[in-house]
Parts: sequence; structure tokens; C-alpha cells
Amino acid sequence: MDTSGAGTLIARLYEVNWLLFALVYIVGAIGVAMILAATDGNWGAGALQHLSRLLVGGGAMLFVALINIRFWYFLAYPIYLFALLLLGVVDFYGVEVNGSTRWLDFGVMRIQPSELMKLAIVLALARYYHDLPNWRVSRASGLAGAFLIIGLPMQFIFRQPDLGTTILLVATGFSIIFLAGINWRVILGGIVTAAIAIPVFYRYGLKDYQRDRINTLWQPESDPLGASYHITQSKIALGSGGISGKGYMQGTQRSGEYVPENTTDFIFTVIGEEFGLIGGVGTILIYSVLIGFCIYLSLQVKQLFSRLLILGVTITFTLYVFINIAMVTGLIPVVGVPLPLISYGGTVILTVMLGFGLILSAHLFHEVELPRGYI
Amino acid sequence: MSRRDNDDIIDPHTVTRRTALVSLGGLAVIGVLSSRLYYLQVTKAEDYTVLSDRNRFNFNIIVPERGRILDRNGTPLAVNRQDYRVLMIPEQVKDIDIALDNINRVLPLSGGTRERVKKDIKRNARFIPVLIEDHLDWTTFAALNLHAPDLPGVIPNVGQGRAYPYKGIFAHTLGYVGTAGPDDVKADPDPLLRQPSFRIGKTGVEAAADMRLRGKSGKLKVEVNAFGRIVREWPSVEDSPVPGEDVSLTIDADLQRYAAELFEEESGAVVVIDVMTGELRTLLSMPTFDGNLFVSGLTQADMKRLNSDYKRPQFNKVIGGGYPPASTFKMVVMLAALKEGIIDVDKKIYCTGKTRLGRRNFHCWKKGGHGPVNMRDGLKQSCDVYFYELADRMGIQPIHDMAEKLGFGTRFDIGIKGQYAGINPDEDWKQRFRGDGWRMGDSYNASIGQGFVLATPLQMAVMTARIANGRRAVSPNLIIGQTLDGFAPLDIDAAHMQFIREAMWSVCQEPGGTAYRRNGTGIPGVDMAGKTGTGQVRSISKAERLSGVMSNARLEWELRDHSVFVGYAPYTSPRFAVATLVEHGGSGAGKAATISRAIIQRVLERDGMQAENNSQDIKKTGPSQL
Repeated sequence: MDTSGAGTLIARLYEVNWLLFALVYIVGAIGVAMILAATDGNWGAGALQHLSRLLVGGGAMLFVALINIRFWYFLAYPIYLFALLLLGVVDFYGVEVNGSTRWLDFGVMRIQPSELMKLAIVLALARYYHDLPNWRVSRASGLAGAFLIIGLPMQFIFRQPDLGTTILLVATGFSIIFLAGINWRVILGGIVTAAIAIPVFYRYGLKDYQRDRINTLWQPESDPLGASYHITQSKIALGSGGISGKGYMQGTQRSGEYVPENTTDFIFTVIGEEFGLIGGVGTILIYSVLIGFCIYLSLQVKQLFSRLLILGVTITFTLYVFINIAMVTGLIPVVGVPLPLISYGGTVILTVMLGFGLILSAHLFHEVELPRGYI
Repeated sequence: MSRRDNDDIIDPHTVTRRTALVSLGGLAVIGVLSSRLYYLQVTKAEDYTVLSDRNRFNFNIIVPERGRILDRNGTPLAVNRQDYRVLMIPEQVKDIDIALDNINRVLPLSGGTRERVKKDIKRNARFIPVLIEDHLDWTTFAALNLHAPDLPGVIPNVGQGRAYPYKGIFAHTLGYVGTAGPDDVKADPDPLLRQPSFRIGKTGVEAAADMRLRGKSGKLKVEVNAFGRIVREWPSVEDSPVPGEDVSLTIDADLQRYAAELFEEESGAVVVIDVMTGELRTLLSMPTFDGNLFVSGLTQADMKRLNSDYKRPQFNKVIGGGYPPASTFKMVVMLAALKEGIIDVDKKIYCTGKTRLGRRNFHCWKKGGHGPVNMRDGLKQSCDVYFYELADRMGIQPIHDMAEKLGFGTRFDIGIKGQYAGINPDEDWKQRFRGDGWRMGDSYNASIGQGFVLATPLQMAVMTARIANGRRAVSPNLIIGQTLDGFAPLDIDAAHMQFIREAMWSVCQEPGGTAYRRNGTGIPGVDMAGKTGTGQVRSISKAERLSGVMSNARLEWELRDHSVFVGYAPYTSPRFAVATLVEHGGSGAGKAATISRAIIQRVLERDGMQAENNSQDIKKTGPSQL
């Protein structure tokens, strides 16, 4: 293969990893089926739109995949800065929805810059560590750059406020720092610092409703119709599903509309109620196969940028899945993170599929030599 | 790029190692999530299934049909009637105002109604129907049905409402129903009371027999969603509601209606009582009000009209009104005198038209006096002076004791509330309630049923029934099936009783009697006995007269005497006693006696008729009718 990544479009199409493509669509199909169930079999109430978003997202994914990884390498910082700019604009001109300002309204469409940032931060950190000399990785100077990349968007998003995305960004960022081979002593120091900083942050850095959500997590029964209503009803839906579930479209918690937002953040309850433990663990396993396959792909590429890019996107995706299911099963507070590819909602599908597009691009152009040291 | 930089690229092996570690973390995450699911869906599955069912199912209470109230012949006095009404389901209506405008074209809605409808809509979930208007007539209802397809969300509906076919004349006795108030709910934990369509008996028989009329609520298992909307019904037979029992009264509806007709515009009360069983054939207070008005809640205008009417239609005079029994009390005084043996029945007392006590004159109703009067004539002509003499000889206590035996000062067990005990005065009573000693003048007044003595028309009827019966202390009863443990012996000398009855006969049947008519009851060969009374109304003060608060017509009316009559028939074998009181109706020989005589004639005729009908009924329908 041409090391510059030229080659005909047909050849590139042939080289695209269609297996990953298929895995993405299997998960997406689960989403269509479950949104259909959550809306009482009414195709027009979301399922069709989800399907069309998957198709549009697939096109975008393919488009991104076919673009040379060099291009993404050069665009990493500009994209990051653009996303940062949009976040800044949101801060001033954003549209408020449900008490938090996350959206930019362009008339024809609304976009959530924080979604773009999820990919931008991975691109930026991958590029940063690609360029960074190894000896600086565990040094203050090396850490400072990474922290700056994570910290700038973090404070914007946290102010919106969007706790879920903040956690996602920080966790993804730290994971990439970890992957870059940061010294264990530094990690230990960081953990100790965090152990001190987190209680302080909890006390002074959180909004009241965010604290409420965390508090009710530990005693959900104390306030069954208030803040913990979500968790209680969601656990009832899952628990009453048992091992094999109540059957497709037979969920009573679902049909009774006891679980709010069950097409979006709480769609896993519909899976758990109607398909039981088998459906729930089955879904987790399908996700695991997709995630595992991405990790496998990361080992196939030689360029550090490509590798960190694949792993970063994969980690973001994994964190989505983990935070959502942990939230729905009552392991962590309700932070408002959707189940990727299954939950109804356009922006997330686009983000995730663009992310997979980047993975495919990194894999497709794994032989391309990338320069170092450019900004 | 310097060499050092190039050499110092991050080692890919490190990244691979770290990737392996991260992957291990991923596996741990899968393990955590899976075991969490196992915990929820296997270990705790049963608990959550129970909670899910609890979410899902509700037990809705079905309100049972209320029992009817019937008269003694099975004529319905209180029924459940289909109530035509129109409802609106807000979630099916695009614009509430436009929908109301559209309804307005068929059924004119007042501004108040519109406001109430909007308030109700705001208060409830959008799928709960809101009542727009009830008690529609058939024409309007039919018109609404015709337009219903053009009015989405507007539902013509047939509900059940309590209705009183006779409107007014049973209103006081039957009472009315209404939604259970906070006090009712506190007193009775039955969840039925909290149902919006349930009606509880508020007064009268509706309240007295409420437990029998109410029935038993049913349950309907329904599947509901998070907002309480019914998704599915799960009917089960054992939980169907048990309708309330029908309750029969001793009242004869036709007789009661006849009595009401006789009253015309007058105010007062009539009681017809069976002198053997105590069954009340008529228990009427006039004027009346339409009990139907109370079922759906009274309008302000109705309330005002009822409250401002000086004839007090809401007041149940027949059991709740205290009136001077006037001369009808003279039987009591005579019986007391006979028991005390203070006077020979043939001893004549000379009536000059007045008697002097101290510095005060006590007048007889007849200005010139009756001349010499014995006991029989004393009653027949109702000579007041004769009774002043009796009072003078025996004092108040024997009169009080005899009055008590005959039912004065007593509340009877007829089930319904609102009975006034009246006043049967004696020395103790005056000391306690007036803080003053008893004077002979008080006894004089009491001897002619005036002064402190107050009795209800029901008590006057009971007295008459006891005299007619002669042996037993007959007590009234109203609701058939309420246990009666026989009546206690009356313990009055039979000869004395016979004497009194003869004297009462002479009042009605002998020329010179205050209520004499040649043809007696109006039925050939059936005589009646009775006594008139003319109750003096307390004098209205000069101040009241001058203040002009009352209209002239009202003032004049309120100054007139009460007209009272008690009597029974047939004289030879007594069956029914009647007591009639016409407020400000003038002398007892006038209105009250005329009404009473007509009622007695009718009840005797109907009783003869009834006996024949009953024997036919038994043949037709079998013994269950008994």
C-alpha cells in the first residue's frame, strides 16, 4: 500500500474495516428496536428518526474514515481550538434547556459544542503525546500541556453545567495520559491529591441539584417521588424483568411510563425489563466485542497518534456505556449520559460515529508516516 | 527536530502494556455491570416484581347504587334517576375556550361555569374528565349528542343522581344527600366516602337509614400508568358492588300529598298516626322546599330564597317546632284532675268570662262566660275558667306528670334527627331555666296549654293516639323494620280515659261542641272525637311594630293565633289519630279542624281500600309481599 495513503477511492473503500462498521450497526439496530418498544411500537415517534440518524451518521463515519490520517493529525489542534471557541460562545450566547446552557442555536440546527469537544480533546491529546519527547511525559512541563488541554474545555463544560460530560472528558483525558506511559509515582501522587481535592470539590464546586443527585444515590428510598424517582423506577423496571424479561413490548414499567426519559438516558431499563438479565448482559457483551475489537485495531497501527486516537475514542465510548449503565442500575448518580448508539438523540450518534470514523481512518492509513513536532 | 527528540519518542511497548492494563480495567467494568444486573434481576427480582405490580395496579372503588326510599305501598319517594350531563376531557380538546364557545351554542354556559370548568381543568391531570354541566333536560342532551362528533373531547354522559319525585312534600322527612364532608370522612373510614360520585345521607331518613341505603362498594382492579391513567381493567366477579337496600316508610304518599294540598299556602304541620302500631301515615311540614335542589348543591339564589321566606320552608315544624298546644292540652289537665280526684265530674263551675287571681284577671275565650259548666262541658265548650279552677285546686305537678305520660317533653325514636323535646314545665323546670319560683298564674296558663307549655305537632298526635288507644303508650315509628319492643302500658284509669274520649266525641259530634259538624267524619256511621285549640302568639313588641322591619302583610300574619286541632276516628274503634297545626291560622275550630276532618275521612277510606288491595296482592305475588 502507498505509504502516503494515496490510492484510489475504490481501493480505500475496499480497505475500510467493514467488520467494525457492521458491529456499530448491530448496536444501532438494538437502539432502533428498543426505541420502538419505548414508544409503544410507534415508528414515527423516534425509531425511524433514530434509523435515519444512524444512516446519516454512517455516511459521516465513512467520509471521515476515507480522509487521510495525516489530515486529521494536522487538524487536531485547529479542531480543538475551534471546539474551545464554540464552548466559549455557548458560555455567552447559548440556549438554556432544562436549566443548563449546552446548546448553540443556528436556526436550522442546534449543536452541542461539548460533544464536538469529546472528539477534539482526544485528537489534541493524541497529537500532544505524539509530539512530546518521552522524557517529558512525567515531568511537570509535559503534564502541564496535557492538563491545559483537558482543563480549558473542562471548566467551560462544568459551568454549563454538565457533570456527565465533564467526568467523561476528564476520565478520557487521564486515560490517555496514563496510556502515554506516565510514571507510576506520579499516578500515585495524583491519586493522593485527588483524595484530598474531591471532597473539597464536592463541598464547594458542585451545584445543589448535582449534590442532591449524588446524595439520593445512597438512599434512593428516602424520597421516592423526588430526585431519586428515576433510580427507583429504573431499578424496579430492571428487577421486575428477571432473567428472561417480560417479552418485547410487554414491559409494564415501560408501558406505564414509570421510567422517565426511557428513549434517551434510561433506555437500558427497557432492555432490562423486556429481555431481562439475558438482554442486559447480552447488550453489555455486544458492546464489549465492539470495544475489544477497537482495542485490537489500536494494536495494528504503528503511529503513536493513530494509536492514541483509536484508544481515546474507544475509551470515550466505553465510558459512555459504563457511566450510563452504572447510572441506570443505581451504581452511580444520575449524571445524564446516554447509552451510545442505542439512546435516542442526534448529537451523540453523530459524535460517536464520527469517532468511529476516526478509528477507521487511523486503521485504514496505519502505514502512513506522520511527522513530529509541528504545531 | 533535534536528534534527542527523535530518539526520545514514547515507547510503543509502554503504550501496549498500558493498553493491556486499561483493557483489564474494561473487563472489570463488564464484571461490575454484569454482577450488578445479576443482583437486580435475579437476587432481587421478586422484590422488584412486587414493586412493579404495585406500580401497575390500582383498586378503583365502584360506588354501589343507593337504595330507594319507598312509602308503605311501595311508591318510590327517593330514587336514583339518570342524570344527563356533559363532560370534557381536556387532553382531547385543542383550545378550551373555543370548545366552550361551541358548547355554548347548544347549552348556554354562564361565566361562573366557564371559570369553574377552567379551574377544574387546571387542578387535575389532563385526561381526567371535567364536569361542564349536569341535570340537563332531554332536549339539550339530545342536541349535545347530535353535535358531539363536531366537538372532540366533549362527552355527553349519563350518570346517576338522587331524585325525589314528590319534590317538596317529603323533603323534611327524607332529608337529602350530598358529598361526604371532612367530618363524615373522619367519622367513617370507609374509602367509599372519598369517592367523588358517592353521596351520603345528610339529613332525615337519608341520614338515619344511610347504612342500609348505602350498600357495599365494589372493587375494580385496573392497570394504571405513572400518571394514574387507566390502561386496562381487570374485572372480577367477587368484587362487584352490592346495591343498597330499599327502605320503606310507614308514610302513605297519597295521603301526605292530599294533606299538602289541603294546606294550600298555609304554614304548619300535620301528623297522622296509627293509634295501635304508632305508624306515621303522614308527617308533613308546610311549606316545603324541593329536596332535589340540595343534591347537586344549592345555588346562592335558592339558598337566599329559602332563608328569607318568613314561613321558613326549611324548618321541619312537625317534629322540630315548639307551639303552645293551647286547648288541646285540656285533656291532660282533665286526666290529671280525675287521677287526683280533686273534683266531681258533675260539679259545676260558674264561668263569668274571667277569674281573678291576685290582682290579675284570667280570661275565658268567651267574653260573656259559659255560665255553669261541668267537666264534660268544660272540654266540649273549651271553657278556660273551668280549667283555671282545676289548676287552682291541684297545682302544676299532677299536670306535668300526666303530660309526661302522654308524651309531652319527649323525643321519640323515629330515626330522623331534628326533634324538639318541647317544654313540659313544672316548678323545678322554672327554677332551673327561668331562675324563678313557680306562681299560681303559671299553672293557670299551663292549664289551657299556654304559658310555658310548648309541644311539637308530633307530640300532640302521640297524646291523641295514646288517649284513643287507652291502654298502651303508643310511640310513633317511621321507618319500617326498625324494631319496636311493644309499647309500655299507659297506666291511666280506663274509666277516666273513657270519660275523656266521650268528652272529645261531644266536641265533634254534639251541637255546641267547638268542632261540631253534623256529619262527623263525613263517612256515614263513623264518628270522630277531637279537640280544638287556638294558640295565642306572643305579643309583638311596640318597638318591632314601629321598626318597620316586617311588612304589613307579614306583621298582620304573625299576630294571628295558631290554629290547632287533634282528633281520632272512628270513635267506637279508634284507628287513626291526627294532629294539625296551622301557623297563624286563626281559631282551631276553623282551618285546623277542617283540614283534620278531611284527612281523617281520606285515611279511613284509603285504609278500607288498602285492606282489599293487600288481599289481592298476596294472591298475585305470593307471600314475599308480606
